[in-house]
Amino acid sequence: MAEHGTATDEAERERLRRARDDATDQFTAANAVLSALGRSAMDPDAVLDTIVDSACRLCRAQAAQVYLIDGDSFTLASSVGVTDELRSHLQAHPIRVDRDTMVGRAATDHSVQQIADAQEDPAYRRRDIQEIAGFRTVIAAPMLLDDEVVGALSLLRSDVNPFDASGSALLETFAAQAAVVVRHVHLLAALDTRGVELARRVDQLEALSEVGGLVSSSLVLDEVLSTIIKNAVRFSGCDGGSVMEYIEDDHSFSVRSAYASSPELLARLRGVRIELETTLVGRAARERHPIAVPDLDDVDLDPHLAVLHDDGWRSVLAVPVLRGERIIGALVVRRRTPGAFAPETVDFLETFAGQSALAVTNARLFRELEVKSAELEVVSQHKSEFLASMSHELRTPLNAVIGFSEVLLERLFGDLNERQEDYLRDILSSGQHLLELLNEILDLSKVEAGRMELEPSTFSVPAALDYGIAMVRGRAAVHGITITLDVDPALDMVESDELKFKQVLVNLLSNAVKFTPDGGHVFVGAHQVGRDVEVTVRDDGPGIAPEDRERIFEAFQQGRRGAPKEEGTGLGLTLCRRLVALLGGRIWLETETGAGSTFGFAVPAGSATPTATAPPVDAPLVLVVDDDRASLDLLAAYLDGLGVRVLQARDGRAGLDAVRSTRPAAVVLDIRLPGMDGWEVLEHLKADATTRDIPVVVASILDERARGLAMGASAYLVKPVGRDELVSALRRTGALPATLPTELRATSTEGAQR
Amino acid sequence: MTGGRILVVEDNALNLKLIRDVLQVGGYDVVEARSGEEGVHLAHDCSPDLVLMDLQLPGIDGVEALHQIRQDPVVGDVPVVAVTAFAMEEDRERAYADGFDGYLSKPISVRALPSQVDAFLVRGHPHG
Repeated sequence: MAEHGTATDEAERERLRRARDDATDQFTAANAVLSALGRSAMDPDAVLDTIVDSACRLCRAQAAQVYLIDGDSFTLASSVGVTDELRSHLQAHPIRVDRDTMVGRAATDHSVQQIADAQEDPAYRRRDIQEIAGFRTVIAAPMLLDDEVVGALSLLRSDVNPFDASGSALLETFAAQAAVVVRHVHLLAALDTRGVELARRVDQLEALSEVGGLVSSSLVLDEVLSTIIKNAVRFSGCDGGSVMEYIEDDHSFSVRSAYASSPELLARLRGVRIELETTLVGRAARERHPIAVPDLDDVDLDPHLAVLHDDGWRSVLAVPVLRGERIIGALVVRRRTPGAFAPETVDFLETFAGQSALAVTNARLFRELEVKSAELEVVSQHKSEFLASMSHELRTPLNAVIGFSEVLLERLFGDLNERQEDYLRDILSSGQHLLELLNEILDLSKVEAGRMELEPSTFSVPAALDYGIAMVRGRAAVHGITITLDVDPALDMVESDELKFKQVLVNLLSNAVKFTPDGGHVFVGAHQVGRDVEVTVRDDGPGIAPEDRERIFEAFQQGRRGAPKEEGTGLGLTLCRRLVALLGGRIWLETETGAGSTFGFAVPAGSATPTATAPPVDAPLVLVVDDDRASLDLLAAYLDGLGVRVLQARDGRAGLDAVRSTRPAAVVLDIRLPGMDGWEVLEHLKADATTRDIPVVVASILDERARGLAMGASAYLVKPVGRDELVSALRRTGALPATLPTELRATSTEGAQR
Repeated sequence: MTGGRILVVEDNALNLKLIRDVLQVGGYDVVEARSGEEGVHLAHDCSPDLVLMDLQLPGIDGVEALHQIRQDPVVGDVPVVAVTAFAMEEDRERAYADGFDGYLSKPISVRALPSQVDAFLVRGHPHG
């Protein structure tokens, strides 16, 4: 445009160049101020220093000052190029907010004010400042915040050199930035002075977290709701409030809980119908935001508001409780005085309402769960009753099937041919199998209902193993299966539950026989391992696939063991696992597909004392019941070497249980026993058809021979009891194996008689 | 010892027949009752030496029938043995607590029943 440079063009170029430089400088300065603002958010003085420094430099002034209005005068907040003398002078003689100075005039007029020469201009009235500072040209811009003047920024030049329009505009920009800093200062100050307010805010947050905690910890709806409304009222600074649940089917709200409300008011609130479509609460819910009524006197009252108004309430804030799209309910807080609700109160209550929504939703879920649980309880009860009655109904005909098969097999009514006998055995074994299935179902349902109880007893493990093997021997023989037993010789008596122990054992044994191919082997081992007795049953069967090893213990799972004679209840192992757990033990499986399976179980052996030299497992068993250790040991020692196994019990109850579980050949019974005494034990034994034939030899320090014999004792010995006395008494009962006639003769004069 | 009159109170016809036949083969005189009420009447009328009483009966149950028999001045002392399918220790205990003299659980053992009954007959009633 100005290729052929004229002076004017040259001046214009220079002006543009300077304008560009200024713009660049201003941009840099603005950036500096902004970054100072960001950097020193909490140090407004640093930012003001940056502003005066930048303004002074960019506007080519010798001094710059930021004044803040403090009442009706200015205080110097920040300055550059100002002497200490002037500073203290200004402190002693502050500039007033009036037309005497340019700063004052800028503040008064809300516009930039300039005097070219303060020394000459009569409008400038603070000659004192001018003399000390020595300036000539002065310009000032107001610091405005929302039309309010908070201060002024002024620049001084020591020569008469008025600021041009761009300098003036630049000053205005700096003044605006200074105002932002002041706002920041104000906010900080406000926050500082509102310490109480802050504390309340903390309380509110705590209240929220309290409700939050309640939401997760407690699910009782009314408790949750009353805590919510209590906190909502308390921390919003209101006088009362209520919380409502939205009843979807009825399109209305129902007051669940109220705080700081009289029982009468609560009753009236509950009595009034608060419709979604026609009430303030409903509108808040429909519009999904809080609605406040600063004065109930000024509005048309819906039925709900009318109740509140009647009760003397003046201002109300309704906050909807929402969960996603669903309306859950509403929080309503109220005051007895009219007035608007602070935005922070509304915010706070909205947060609270969110928490309430969660609480109500959880509580509803919980309520549903309770109803469902109650229903399940009933179903479970029905199931138990069904099982019990089914068990009875099925057992009755089964008993007939089993019984009549036995009648025929016993040849009570004549002989049978081979085929008849074969079929009858099939009928009998099928019936027994069905009965077993029934019993297992019933047992399992008892275990699962927690109604299976332990019946502790002391019994012989070798005898239990013999019993178990006897149970499956017939079947094993049919299939040519050999059963090998390996029992640790030290293993004898254990304290456990004999019936359950045997049940597990028989189950494992019949499984082993079932899954062993014809002509195969089943190995049974029993060992003392630490405090446990461990039993293993190994078969020659197909083994169990790894994926089935856990599953096989679950109900009705037999695993993919394709044994040709496979049949079973599918409940056996499940029941075994439960029973072993009940005995305080564990059950396991070691198997390899194609290499057989070993099932093992271990149960605590209890404190039964193993006998030193184990007599044959089929030797007669004598139970000695005595609470005195020494006496027990002595009596046991008397019986040592007589070919009997001795079992000990320390009290009447244990003794009675031991008799019932072990059916000993004889009982040696003390009378003075803790708990159930000997008389009672005797009475029980003689009253029970299954035990009344077991001879009882009383050995007591009490001489009540007549009573003992009358109650059914076979012999009555008064302590101290001698060895011969005891042995001969037991021989006469038939409990001891017949032995040398001399011994019999030697003790034949013993006075015990029936 | 064989012989003796046994009252069997059992509502299930097949079970009754089974017990009757087994006992008859064993040489006992068997009187059959199909309900608790009938059992109480027959106990009075027939003076049995032993009563085998099913516990679950229509009308009055076995325990109630037992109590009514005990009230009878003529046969109140007859041994009464509970017969039930509740093969549980607690049921056994309860039977004694209820005043029965013995307890047999179903399924009865055809082979063992005669000797079991014999034992009850020999012992007689412990209260007597």
